[in-house]
Amino acid sequence: MRRRGTLWFWVFVGPFAAGLALFTYVPLLWSVGLSFFDAHNTVTPTRFVGLDNYTAMLKDDAFVDSLRTFLLFTAFIVPVTYLLSLSLALMVNRVKRARAFFRSVFFLPAACSYVVAALVWKMSLFNGVRFGLANTVLGWFGSDPVAWLSSADPPWYWLVIVTVRLWLQAGFYMILFLAGLQRIDPVLYEAAAVDGARPGWTVLRHITLPQLRATSVAVVLLLVINAFQAFDEFYNLLSDARGYPPYARPPLVYLYYTALGQGQNLGAGSAGAVILALIIAVVTVGQARWLRLGRTDADG
Amino acid sequence: MDDALVRAGRALRLVLLLALALLFLIPFYLLVRNGLSSEQDITSPRWTFLPGELRWGNVRELFDDPSVPFARSLLNSALIAVATTLGTLLLASLAGYGLARIPYRHANKVFYGVLGTLLVPAAVTFVPSFVLVSSLGWISTLRGLIVPTLFSAFACFVFRQYFLGFPRELEDAAQVDGLGYWRTYWLVVVPNARPVFAAVGTIVFLGAWNSFLWPLVIGQDQSAWTVQVALSSFTTSQVIRLHELFVAAVVSVLPLLLVFLCFQRWIVAGVERSGID
Amino acid sequence: MTMSRRTLLAAGAGAGAALLAGCGSNTGRGGGSSGTELTQWYHQYGETGTEQAVERYAAAYKKANVRVQWRPGNYDQQTAAALLTDSGPDVFEVNGPTIDQIQGGQVVDLTDLLKDAKDAKDIKDDFNPAVLGPKTYDGRIWGIPQVIDMQMLYYRKSLLKEAGLAPPATLDALVDAARKLTDSKVKGLFLGNDGGAGVLGGTPLYAAGLTLVTDDGKVGFDEPAAARTLGKLRQLYADKSLLLGAPADWSDPSAFLQGLTAMQWSGLWALPQVQKELGDDFGVLPFPGDGGQGKPAVPVGAYGAAVSARSRHKEAAREFVRWLWVERTDYQEDFALSYGFHIPARISLAQKAGKLRTGPAADAVRFSTDHGFAAQPLLWTPAAQTAYQDALSRIIRSGADAESALRAVVGKVAGELDRVKKAKKAS
Repeated sequence: MRRRGTLWFWVFVGPFAAGLALFTYVPLLWSVGLSFFDAHNTVTPTRFVGLDNYTAMLKDDAFVDSLRTFLLFTAFIVPVTYLLSLSLALMVNRVKRARAFFRSVFFLPAACSYVVAALVWKMSLFNGVRFGLANTVLGWFGSDPVAWLSSADPPWYWLVIVTVRLWLQAGFYMILFLAGLQRIDPVLYEAAAVDGARPGWTVLRHITLPQLRATSVAVVLLLVINAFQAFDEFYNLLSDARGYPPYARPPLVYLYYTALGQGQNLGAGSAGAVILALIIAVVTVGQARWLRLGRTDADG
Repeated sequence: MDDALVRAGRALRLVLLLALALLFLIPFYLLVRNGLSSEQDITSPRWTFLPGELRWGNVRELFDDPSVPFARSLLNSALIAVATTLGTLLLASLAGYGLARIPYRHANKVFYGVLGTLLVPAAVTFVPSFVLVSSLGWISTLRGLIVPTLFSAFACFVFRQYFLGFPRELEDAAQVDGLGYWRTYWLVVVPNARPVFAAVGTIVFLGAWNSFLWPLVIGQDQSAWTVQVALSSFTTSQVIRLHELFVAAVVSVLPLLLVFLCFQRWIVAGVERSGID
Repeated sequence: MTMSRRTLLAAGAGAGAALLAGCGSNTGRGGGSSGTELTQWYHQYGETGTEQAVERYAAAYKKANVRVQWRPGNYDQQTAAALLTDSGPDVFEVNGPTIDQIQGGQVVDLTDLLKDAKDAKDIKDDFNPAVLGPKTYDGRIWGIPQVIDMQMLYYRKSLLKEAGLAPPATLDALVDAARKLTDSKVKGLFLGNDGGAGVLGGTPLYAAGLTLVTDDGKVGFDEPAAARTLGKLRQLYADKSLLLGAPADWSDPSAFLQGLTAMQWSGLWALPQVQKELGDDFGVLPFPGDGGQGKPAVPVGAYGAAVSARSRHKEAAREFVRWLWVERTDYQEDFALSYGFHIPARISLAQKAGKLRTGPAADAVRFSTDHGFAAQPLLWTPAAQTAYQDALSRIIRSGADAESALRAVVGKVAGELDRVKKAKKAS
């Protein structure tokens, strides 16, 4: 019986696992291997350098700076996205008329590529000259145009980045919350009403939020992973033909220039990537422990 | 008084929602406005909400541009997105089912092996992946653009969670009828799991249509360009033609919006019943 | 009966066949006529007609079947990745090759292409030394310069006249003029959306009489003058004289033509467009000198044609490069002057070109002869470049202290120069 199970297990899982092994694990291990070699412009290096690449990356101010920036960015963007998508879901869920309309409107941006979104934000909404929409609106109030992406002090570029990210992502997480909300047993609300709980904050706090716990855990996890792996919108908004400025530079963008551009320092790039992956793993696992992810199965 | 309060709250909520909806629609409006404008209208110092003249000719100009095979790139993207979606659904759902339902001593280890890859940024493995695909001789082929992307740990994870919550009774009945895992899966499980297929399918389709870096590097030949690569070719030249860029963006987004609007109902349903959480 | 293994295999085979059918269209290389197949890569040029032109040159070559690939997006990254594999190009243009590509053995030595050409005359001297220099390492040549690109300052004559200003001849005058030309509608100067750190690079250093890397391979800007000059760029930014956040960056003359700025730093390639739209109402200048040792500076660079060391037909690829970029001067002239606007890399061609003899074009040629410096010295590695550019960004945009910012860069660059020197010994 057990052997039969094993056979069938591999019939079902085997093709997927084989593909994953070939196209994810082989490159991954290869990358880890490169991180211990002096690999300038080659993927088959010969000069073993031990941990040199790691110490070099950890001593590299630009890399450490980008890691620090992104810890802060994560600490900011995760709660903001969380709150926005939860609020959207709560409101859309309660609205009687045109619910499908609202749901579609908020979800629609998820269909846009980062390339397209960055294009609108950079060239039209937040360009730094007088015919950008944001500057046009400012102009109505008699204000001078602001160079949104170029100004480092105050760092307006964060406004551009955060809004494009919220626009692209809030809808997707809203859908997750909506699904969670619809799973809550209406009986709970009825019971609360009988107990005299006023609709609004009390119900939200004592029934809705606890019931959404499983969804919340998943959303936060996905948000954290996404924040650390940020690349596309940053790259498309801020880079130019000459590179990427030292502001709001995600670790992945820095590694991209180290390893993939003409830099081609694949050893150091891989070492940085391993460091980044380790940080993501520690944060995610720690957070999963803390939020006790283990409970979710019983919840669902 | 309570009633009035509730009604006021409801009105406030509606106003807030409408305001937010408007904000969310602005970028779409800008896309279309700029896409149908002339270059002068886009860069005019005086803002107009609609261009003086709606230039539908921009669309024709886009498809007639000899330097960018836009129609071909749309076709490529469609082929790739459909094939990637079907392939991913097949592989990931089978694996998800196996992980959720078939008893195997090391199933958990395999599962964590799959899950762990979610933590690794794709850029980490980019260069070795590229070298690997190239050594298979798959550069500039649809194979190279599709096959390596078929093994989505995220999709597998969602399917597993969904099948964990799938009512056991149905399968038990099938087992009693003498159906093995394989036929139970195809005859009982799949027909009853359509929402999750629709949900994962949509997400994968979007990802495949919108992905950029991989197609850019693998699709070396112009005949293998995807629509995102074609789009980027408008921005990288020394001279940017804004109206052409925007009209191309509109055309690239339209098919997706359609797919999306048709399927979004399913996505909610699918998410609701899977444990993405 | 449970699922038989045969059904399973059949299902598997079916799925496999479908997959293969779907993926069958191999659009790649190979196939076709007799003779050698060569692939040649170009980055995407913005000027209309360039792509058709290079297709035409390739078709005219009889000894091999040359397929041109026209690559949008980040070209440096694509070539770098492709050179790691066997499916890369045979012949490719490159903003280099970089020192690491040369030391890593990724490109083929092309020295003799310039030596024993048909008339047995050494034609190396006919190539502009400012662009051949950075393609020469250890006395050997690793890329044949195609065309020279140079950058300069465009200014609106009418706007300067209105403000009672002469074309700025010193950096101080430029800072001053930019401030005076700025009003609520028009900015004084456009140095790119990042405030100049990207496009200017080493230019201000050369304008101060310094260099990025000295001839004997040392850091060339470890002097107080460097911080002083770079501080003046900060002044431009702090005065709010710089145009920032334009939809099109410095390489595109749009901002200048749309009247968003009175002066713009851009490339020679923008000249035809500017001339068409502004007629006589513009002039061009080199980057003005600064300080006692200072002199005007004009960055020049060239894409070079290189041959990949992983090419299966290295000899044929070299022959093709010789044919196109050494022998066919008619094509070289066409490529430089018929579409965009570049200076031919061959001195003899540049002197002959009628288009370059009058007006601003003639000025541009003169600037690059008199004040030209190699924008990308061979020993200036991408890592050095990133460190320097980061510091320059911080100096200009955040008002970082130029002296201490530069000190960190000097350390990093010295480290890179060291590494490259060691790699030479090892190889």
